[in-house]
Amino acid sequence: MGKKLVIDPVTRVEGHGKVTVQLDDENNIIGARLHVVEFRGFEKFVQGHPYWEAPMFLQRICGICFVSHHLCGAKVLDDMIGVGYAQGVEMLPTPEKVRRLGHYFQQLQSHVTAYYYLIAPEMIFGMDAAPEKRNILGLIEENPEMVKRVVALRKWGQEGIKLVMGKKMHGIASVPGGVNHNVTQEQIDRFLDGDDGLLDIDTVIKYASEALDVFYKFHEENREQVDRFADVPALNMCLVDAEGNVDYYHGKMRITDEDKNIIEEFDYHDYMDYFAEATEEWSYMKFPYLKKYGREKGSVRVGPLARVNNTKAYGKATPLAQIALERFHVYNNGKASNKTLHTNWARAIEILHSVELIKNLLGDPDLQKEELKITPTKEQWTGDGIGVVEAPRGTLLHHYRANKNGEITFCNLVVSTTQNNTVMNRTVLAVAQEYIGGQNEITEGMMNAIEVGIRAYDPCLSCATHATAGTMPLDVQVIDSKGNLLDSKKR
Amino acid sequence: MIAKNDNKLELFLQALDSADSIIYGIGNVGREDDGLGWAFVDWIEKEGICPKAELVRSYQLHLEDADLIGRKKQILFVDASKKEEIAHFSISKVEPKLDFSFTSHAISVQSILATSKQCFEKIPEVYLMEIAGYEWELKIGLTQDAENNLNRSIEYFRTIVS
Repeated sequence: MGKKLVIDPVTRVEGHGKVTVQLDDENNIIGARLHVVEFRGFEKFVQGHPYWEAPMFLQRICGICFVSHHLCGAKVLDDMIGVGYAQGVEMLPTPEKVRRLGHYFQQLQSHVTAYYYLIAPEMIFGMDAAPEKRNILGLIEENPEMVKRVVALRKWGQEGIKLVMGKKMHGIASVPGGVNHNVTQEQIDRFLDGDDGLLDIDTVIKYASEALDVFYKFHEENREQVDRFADVPALNMCLVDAEGNVDYYHGKMRITDEDKNIIEEFDYHDYMDYFAEATEEWSYMKFPYLKKYGREKGSVRVGPLARVNNTKAYGKATPLAQIALERFHVYNNGKASNKTLHTNWARAIEILHSVELIKNLLGDPDLQKEELKITPTKEQWTGDGIGVVEAPRGTLLHHYRANKNGEITFCNLVVSTTQNNTVMNRTVLAVAQEYIGGQNEITEGMMNAIEVGIRAYDPCLSCATHATAGTMPLDVQVIDSKGNLLDSKKR
Repeated sequence: MIAKNDNKLELFLQALDSADSIIYGIGNVGREDDGLGWAFVDWIEKEGICPKAELVRSYQLHLEDADLIGRKKQILFVDASKKEEIAHFSISKVEPKLDFSFTSHAISVQSILATSKQCFEKIPEVYLMEIAGYEWELKIGLTQDAENNLNRSIEYFRTIVS
């Protein structure tokens, strides 16, 4: 009989992912929880600000996926001024493609950061390697040539963000109804042909492919560990295009089950009609779920694994990513993968997919055209909008309302980490059952395994979860059936 | 915090007015005294001192900065500091050292230099100017005490470089 645990805010450890594991009388695990005790408050801060400030303001939530927040906000503003997807208005080709280009550059940069800086060291050195080795600095010592390539790849992504968004961080390219600039041929050539210190596109594709090779090697050598580690169920959700394949910028929201049956597909403006959000007294983060299926069966996974699970084909335009996707589907026998560490595989596929999408866009003459935005009449103002994009970590939703003076009165953000809350908790439970079952002592191996499980989602619990391997701030507690603390380990 | 008649430091500062130099301000101007690094760079720019040097402002260091500094000969990083032992400001030579400071949001100057050495086989001359700050809340603008420290660092720099 488990005892209910209550987070006392006084005991909150800022920046720590807190995990509690509950045991019964026979030391069997009957529960495990990932507590998120971060509170940011951006939804409140933005109220009273002019509506057009929101995409600039709210992107400061994050120093990694700020472009996603910026573009999501931009889509909301399009709706608010009456020229958005809510009104059935298609964005002009140039601004849409400029926005997409910035989005893909950011996905590349963000995925490379998560994959190489945080995850690859675990694959290269092994999960059990000493923390002082199992990190990017260990990689610098072990394989400086690889790190040199990673730095070059990330730099290419960052320079691309600067090209499109105007700044490497927290840019200002989107305006209501469009963008404030196009991209010139000279700028495009720099990214296709390379420049002093900037890679050319073919080298970028080559380096991006190497991310997959790292995973393939690790998988081949550790197949059982990779495939057995936290195999946890969840529905898969992402934006899809007309063919039902992932679209990172716009589309319908599709949710599929393990057999890839479509169980829901809807316009994202109707999100609240389909989803409810449960709360728990032990976490500040909500638990979204599909109302129709209930909390247990209706929880979704978002992010690279969900997107790759949902996508049948990337198509001929991105041939290398298509080959990688086919290999993934064949390996999983055409079913959706619930294997947590396959998220890293999916992330590597998406690194390659992003680069191929960028290459295609850089060759598109629409990027250079002059028609940059739709200007609405005053009568078109709605003051209400919803935007959704596929951020690197998964489906991201912004919803704002403003009064007739244009001041924001309401803001709701559903970030991808929130969507993944339930599946992350399932992952923690699965890891705990695997590594602590029958014991009442927390081992270093268990700490590492929890870290690996959480890290696969690359969550934004707080900046702390981006810490290097072996140093993620964690507070793990084991509680007995009477609620007594049996063991506690913090780092 | 600065040794008198530190000839090496003085020669370094005097050599900053070169296309082979970077003056790199680190910090967040939206966090009160964390804006000290940028404020120093703002002053350099406004006064037109070291016009040949590349001026950089960044919220935080990234691993890519190892590539950036490897392309130059001398770099002065300027950052705010909470260290109690720094009364007003200090300047110290940076030696390459991989430490455990790395997250995807932050990395030390020492690690950046070590990465430049390890991956790019380049070891530029690097100094770190740390200016004492006191308040770090969400607010634009330096506290008066931090402003005073900034002025001291500026005065010192002006004396050496002019």
